[in-house]
Amino acid sequence: MDKNIGIYICTGCGIGDMLDCDPIAEMASDEYSVSICKNHPFLCGAEGVDLIKKDIEGEGVNTIIIAACSPRVNYDVFDFGQDKIIERVNFREHVAWSQAEKDENTQMLAEDYIKMACAKIGRTDLPEPFKAEEEYSKDILVVGGGVAGMTAALETAKAGYNAILVEKDPKLGGFLAKMKKNVTLPYKDISDTGAEAMIKAVSDNPKIKVYTSAAVEKISGGPGIFSVEIKANGNSATERAGAIVQATGWVPYDANKLGHLGYGKFKNVITNVEMEEMAAAGKITRPSDGKDVKNVLFIQCAGSRDPEHLPYCSSSCCLVSMKQATYVKEQNPEAVNYILYKDIRTVGQSEDFYRKAQMDGNVFIRGSVEEVGESGGNLYVSANDELLGEKIKIEELDLVVLAVGMVPRSLPAEIPKIKAPSDSKEADADGMIEVKPDSGFFATSALNLAYRQGPELPTLKYGFPDSHFICFPYETRRTGIYSAGCIRRPMEVGKAKDDATGAAMKAIQCIEATSIGMAVHPRAGDISYPEFNMSRCTQCKRCTEECPFGAINEDEKGNPLPSPTRCRRCGTCMGACPERIISFKNYSVGMIGDMLKAVSVPEEDEEKPRVIVFVCENDAYPAVDMAGIKKMNWSPYVRFVPVRCLGSIALVWVADALARGIDGLLFMGCRHGDDYQCHFVKGSELANTRLSKVSETLDRLSLESDRVKFIEVGITDCDKVPAIISEFMETIESVGPNPYKGW
Amino acid sequence: MAGNYDPSFAKEVFDNVDSGEEIKMCMQCGICAGSCPLRHEMDYPPRQIFTLIRAGRRDEVMNSKAIKLCTSCYRCKVRCPRGIPVIDVMHGLAHYGIKKGIIPRKGTAAFGGEFWKMIYNIGRIDEKTLPLKYNLLEGLVPGIKSTIEMAPMGIQMFLHHRMKLLPERKIKGIKELRKMLDKAKEMGKGGAN
Ligand code: SF4
Ligand code: SF4
Ligand code: SF4
Ligand code: SF4
Repeated sequence: MDKNIGIYICTGCGIGDMLDCDPIAEMASDEYSVSICKNHPFLCGAEGVDLIKKDIEGEGVNTIIIAACSPRVNYDVFDFGQDKIIERVNFREHVAWSQAEKDENTQMLAEDYIKMACAKIGRTDLPEPFKAEEEYSKDILVVGGGVAGMTAALETAKAGYNAILVEKDPKLGGFLAKMKKNVTLPYKDISDTGAEAMIKAVSDNPKIKVYTSAAVEKISGGPGIFSVEIKANGNSATERAGAIVQATGWVPYDANKLGHLGYGKFKNVITNVEMEEMAAAGKITRPSDGKDVKNVLFIQCAGSRDPEHLPYCSSSCCLVSMKQATYVKEQNPEAVNYILYKDIRTVGQSEDFYRKAQMDGNVFIRGSVEEVGESGGNLYVSANDELLGEKIKIEELDLVVLAVGMVPRSLPAEIPKIKAPSDSKEADADGMIEVKPDSGFFATSALNLAYRQGPELPTLKYGFPDSHFICFPYETRRTGIYSAGCIRRPMEVGKAKDDATGAAMKAIQCIEATSIGMAVHPRAGDISYPEFNMSRCTQCKRCTEECPFGAINEDEKGNPLPSPTRCRRCGTCMGACPERIISFKNYSVGMIGDMLKAVSVPEEDEEKPRVIVFVCENDAYPAVDMAGIKKMNWSPYVRFVPVRCLGSIALVWVADALARGIDGLLFMGCRHGDDYQCHFVKGSELANTRLSKVSETLDRLSLESDRVKFIEVGITDCDKVPAIISEFMETIESVGPNPYKGW
Repeated sequence: MAGNYDPSFAKEVFDNVDSGEEIKMCMQCGICAGSCPLRHEMDYPPRQIFTLIRAGRRDEVMNSKAIKLCTSCYRCKVRCPRGIPVIDVMHGLAHYGIKKGIIPRKGTAAFGGEFWKMIYNIGRIDEKTLPLKYNLLEGLVPGIKSTIEMAPMGIQMFLHHRMKLLPERKIKGIKELRKMLDKAKEMGKGGAN
């Protein structure tokens, strides 16, 4: 494409008061021979936009640099079609609102940003959306036929798409169909489960194809082009799907590990699952002698929230015990239920059911169990009553119900770890042991993905294949595969339905975006994708290993085989590749390299240091914007370079920048670790690792390691941004100017 | 020895004490205890009274200082997230204790009686005569002694226009007020005897 560049500087929003815009325009036409360079006092107004449109039509401008507000706003106003290259320069938040008025340094900053933009568009091509050779499928595969899976299939059908439902049991319904009653919205009382009606709705729906007694043998391809091999009742079938919802549910924590609570020792100590099944079968009786029950004690958090068992809360067992207490009272109004709890966790509106359980006269005792024992054929429980501040003993119990938690029915790539019992010999340095496959953590395959990075969804530390649960619910670390229901996190029926609906919607979004070559979250709408210049590939496998989404497979020789529909466009592969053969049409190592070269580096005696701040576009960039909106100030010597993800940074940028006399480089990215906020999961962590190796480069150049720093910045950290910058500027001042200036 | 849970006292409270059944809804958050200006004087804060009832500790509850100390400031009732009329229960328990003869008509219980009588008679409180009457319940000599001890406070109240020298007069509409008080008593709320 022949680029015909037009630069448009807005002087509104205070920009014109802070900057002398005419010299900037002159500089651009001199140095970059840009013929069209205009100012306008209100560029985002109709007249301003018209000005640009006229030049597009009259002068054939097709590459437009807009120096105005942040690219995070007015993107719709400054949208001139996919056939134009648009580059936004943030004169408002990053210059006018955060720098000194009509200052020499402010002016230099603005000029640098224009130069960087010119350098950037020099290396930008128009991206063309990816189109797979195969035809795209718009059907959704749902794995798991419990409440979440059935809801996902029904919602998919309701939205006009076809669903393929794979259930391992001969019958649909999952645990919902095994329950006697349910507690769900509006949480005032117990209600019918509705399982049979739901199963019928699924079975009767012409848009839902159901496989029972079935398992997924293999999934290959990617979003839009998944090929799914299913084995059902001994027969094989192949289906095509555009996206996948995994709703494989949960299994109860293995109560055999709860001998200290009397399980396995006394017949009348049962789990909440056994209690439910007994209630559903007709009558709640004492398993030991089949006699009626009068006094029942529920032990909450049985093995849950216990570092040696299930370290987390299953969020539904409190509600379940109250429901089962209701069964007991319905059966015998004179019966007494004791609920021994750590905390009652009836989240959200389900608090109403807690009120009901209280009104019914159930006895809630806050404390911890000391002993479960038997005397005279009845059970007793000794406990520490925290509210009474005493030890108590409750006798004459007919039944003790252990409220055990939920374990995801997943196959975690890394075996979860729990706190080792004090007598354990296998404990590691942190006092943790790996859970054994039989210890209640369930290990089962569901998807069998033919992905280089493993057959199942990567999970969080306890086996839940979630991504970041607040920022991106239902997202997993495999594009186009969404998790819903208790596989994502423990939850009750009402929440599982919401979850499944959400996941189905995400799956539809994915199918539609993929079919027009667009990326999904968090770069929704992006049509660029990484291209590999394979002739120079050395089969080092870094890209295939580091891609956070498993988008790159490998052939036998170790050559990367990218699957663009699985790609989220983070650029991590681009940063990882030592040969620099991976690039996007509008984002590449060379492009950022040219931007860095465009930054003017004053002579040492001018005492104007230069610092490059690489900011992650997802969190750090908005944080800087917000600091600007709050009119906070920071050093005029820093130049921000937005990157898709810190995972995309190439070490060569560090070397190039320092060799040119840039005094320091700061990297602002998302938090990583267990509670990561990185939108691309591993990007900021990988960047951190990569940067830890930068010292070699610095040593080679005999430069101080303080010149390069990584810092975690969340989107809410806007107030801290100026301080982070000043602190780094102080460091740079103390290490002194880069000796390579002027070389 | 480990104490036992005995639901029978809770049932007694639910059935006999004003608003007694509402304490089923208590979730032991302790906001009432944190709000009560008298918590430092109480042996058990309101929250714990409810735990004791639940556990069946009849003696501890009925003999507690707490249920007699409540000054009806209403802070607990206003703040309880479960909407429990904590104050009504506290008074209900005290009345139940008096009725059952567990709580003697002394101290606050006696003061309450005098208070009620005076409101019933004149429709308002006479700051001079109420303490006098209450003090005299202890007998003539100790009564006069206690009253003399309170004289400096009386003088201050007088100087700040909080007390009149002349006796308080009956309010207008005393008859209507008495009707209301009778109704309240009928409903089991308050009453001098
Ligand atoms: S829901 Fe209740 S019983 Fe279950 S783990 Fe959480 S707090 Fe414990
Ligand atoms: S690393 Fe990022 S850009 Fe590269 S293939 Fe994977 S998802 Fe796509
Ligand atoms: S404030 Fe209400 S719910 Fe909380 S402890 Fe007191 S009475 Fe119970
Ligand atoms: S009304 Fe009584 S119990 Fe409640 S806060 Fe006031 S003094 Fe305490």
